[in-house]
Amino acid sequence: MSAQLLISGVIFGLSLASIYFLISVGLSLCFGLMRIISLDQLLYYSVGAFLAYTVSTLTGNFWLGLIAGVAVGVVLALAVERLIFRRIYERELTFSMITSFGILLGGIGAIKGIWGVVPKPVPVPFDNQISLFGTDIPVYRLLVVVLAGLVYGGIWLFLNRTIIGKAIRAGIEDMEHVEGLGINAARLFTITFVLAGALSALAGGLYAPLIMVDPHMGLEVLAFVFMVVIIGGLGSIKGTLYSSLLVGQVVSIGSLIYAPLAVMAPFAMMLLILLVRPTGLFGAALAK
Amino acid sequence: MSEGSPLARRLSVEGLNVSRGEARVLFDIHLHLDANEIVSCVGRNGAGKSTLMKSIAGFLAVQSGRVTSDGLALSGLPPYEVARLGVKYVPQDKKVFSDLTVRENLELGSYATQDHNWDRPLTFFPKLKILMDRKAGFLSGGERQMLMIGRAILGSPKVLLIDEPTEGLAPSIVSHLKQVFTELSKSAAVLIVEQNLPLVCSISDRVYALKEGRLVAELTQRDQMKPKVCEDLL
Amino acid sequence: MMTATWRWWRGILITFGVLAALRFVLPLPFMNEVLIFSIYTIGCNFLLGRVGFISFGQPAYLAIGAYGTAFYLFYFGTNPYLGILVGLAAGVIFAFIVGLLFVRLRSDYFALVNLALAVIVFYMFQKVLAGITKGDNGLWFLTNIASTPILNLSRPAEFFVFVMLLGVAIWAFYKYLDDTVFGACCLATKLNETKLEFLGYSNFRIRLTAFVIANSTTALAGCLYAIYLGFVSPEMTSPARTADPVVVTILGGVGSLLGPIVGTVVYTGLRDVASKFIGNWELFVGIILVFIMMSNSGGLYGSLEKLLNRWKRVNG
Repeated sequence: MSAQLLISGVIFGLSLASIYFLISVGLSLCFGLMRIISLDQLLYYSVGAFLAYTVSTLTGNFWLGLIAGVAVGVVLALAVERLIFRRIYERELTFSMITSFGILLGGIGAIKGIWGVVPKPVPVPFDNQISLFGTDIPVYRLLVVVLAGLVYGGIWLFLNRTIIGKAIRAGIEDMEHVEGLGINAARLFTITFVLAGALSALAGGLYAPLIMVDPHMGLEVLAFVFMVVIIGGLGSIKGTLYSSLLVGQVVSIGSLIYAPLAVMAPFAMMLLILLVRPTGLFGAALAK
Repeated sequence: MSEGSPLARRLSVEGLNVSRGEARVLFDIHLHLDANEIVSCVGRNGAGKSTLMKSIAGFLAVQSGRVTSDGLALSGLPPYEVARLGVKYVPQDKKVFSDLTVRENLELGSYATQDHNWDRPLTFFPKLKILMDRKAGFLSGGERQMLMIGRAILGSPKVLLIDEPTEGLAPSIVSHLKQVFTELSKSAAVLIVEQNLPLVCSISDRVYALKEGRLVAELTQRDQMKPKVCEDLL
Repeated sequence: MMTATWRWWRGILITFGVLAALRFVLPLPFMNEVLIFSIYTIGCNFLLGRVGFISFGQPAYLAIGAYGTAFYLFYFGTNPYLGILVGLAAGVIFAFIVGLLFVRLRSDYFALVNLALAVIVFYMFQKVLAGITKGDNGLWFLTNIASTPILNLSRPAEFFVFVMLLGVAIWAFYKYLDDTVFGACCLATKLNETKLEFLGYSNFRIRLTAFVIANSTTALAGCLYAIYLGFVSPEMTSPARTADPVVVTILGGVGSLLGPIVGTVVYTGLRDVASKFIGNWELFVGIILVFIMMSNSGGLYGSLEKLLNRWKRVNG
């Protein structure tokens, strides 16, 4: 394999990792704080992509589309949290899994109804390439990576430098004590859930120009996102970061070597890791 | 029996019945706290002491009965609302937010109460000043207990529910806590659940005895409050 | 005594009696589909209702069974019974190997990992093994199915009789399981692991056995689909399909023995009727799922609680 191929493979893997990370971090936070599995995040991902498509096609401006995608994703997430999740926080984990899957599926159906089944292209805002290490890299892909990095930085700042972020970290460890201090649990949950939705929608919007936008895109990414979350461990942001990078590279380089490896390799890796550490690399233990 | 309508009480529990799953744990509990009192609740393991506190604080659902503070109903409120109303619960588990520093732990205490004056916690527990930037996970048991109480008294709560504070702590820390509780009672009503009978008998104004989910006695006279008497009751 | 036996068999015989009667009222394809789908669901129901594991990956085992049968009939022979045996064997082996890895996991990881499995299997059949599976085109072998003596499986009416008999056997088997210590153990493994270990049982072995039983049943349903349709394709394990058995399980009542049949009738009926109006598959399933979950005031484990009480009484 040539060096150029390898380098572009690495960049491709990094951009994949960025998308996985944005979705997974929300999933992990929701699990860590609220003890729910929020499969519907994949819906906000799809919504982000579809709105990006519609608005960018209408206005000719991709960035407006991206913003629209995030905005609608946020509103949708807020509605879902208020109407549905708020009533089921106390329940078993599997309850939220099934319910959120229902929301995801229903949402896909709604998307099908609104946009139809034909995949839609979203034009890349700029298709310049720059030369890195002797390889031509699309600037947009690099931008995706940079943006994801900025988001990670932003999340870090939020969780470590703001009082609400600290309350969330405290809540991930022990929600009872947080409530005992008089902190409004319901509001904390809503903020976290909506944040996750925003990140997922951002992922969808950002990824849209790199793929064809279609109603089942959420389901296609689902397995990979789960492998990331499982490998990294539910509830750990750091774990999510590392495992996104890992899975991103494995998928990318793997597909260069032998196409099916793109799917088999992360899966095999996940199984291996689970054998050794049944809750993932940095997984949080479930307080029963 | 003390007199006074429930409305006057800092904390009033009437006819409390609590079940955990299918099993009934608390039977028809009546107790009250007046301002500036230290009241203890003693009982063996499994008697229901923690359940009682958790129910008052809103962490457990109540089958029947009423809990009020200064006339305001607490039953049915979520725990953070109960805390907002000035009834603070300090659990038995000696847990603090380990990934956050002592300073950040206190900040969270300040956050909901909007009380950023740390004079009182730091006067009670000067050691916390030295530990400010240490991650709370590295604190000893006694230090954690101090942090937990320090956090809880931010916002000047009217009622403090403290669950087995001296369990597993060194005598020097226990006597320090004794002084702290006495000081605290000057501005709040304190309900302490304890197994440490000598401690209880030395600082309490009143003692409730809890046996297998029922209140079997209320001691109001100082001369009644001897460890031996409590032992016999239980 | 006769009455005790009758009481034991009553529910099953009556249900299948009703199904047999319905066969003359409702279209035969519908009835065949209902039967096979019920068998598909009972595995999921057993896993969720007894062991407390939810699996979004049932389609994987369905596909293994179906493709096992398909390979046999496409490449090797023509006897449908042998085809079923081959598919079932594949299912059992696959479930055992996968189970060894999966069963140790916590319930949420278990669910997610099974979901990933379904996607992997889908991908395998669609792309990786396209050489032998013919990818999305699927395998067609309807003409390969030989006529068999007694019951000619290649004819839908007789196939129906076969599946009915099989169904009675399967339901009797699961009911029998319920009554055994093993059945009680499955329940216990969900509710109180530590106690079970203290009593000397191995949680792992109980779960593994339950896992293999449930998923082999699912694989068997796959074999039946293969015979019935004379055709398999990767679509049966596509991500959109992963919710099917879960929805039906919930519809019919988690943990209830005859629930899968009731749930399937309702679900398939609704689907066929609604598809004329809604035409939008996912929307329909999604809304039903959310609706059921939200209105389920007894909780997903409401029926489980009743079973727990029964277990408590049995064990004193």
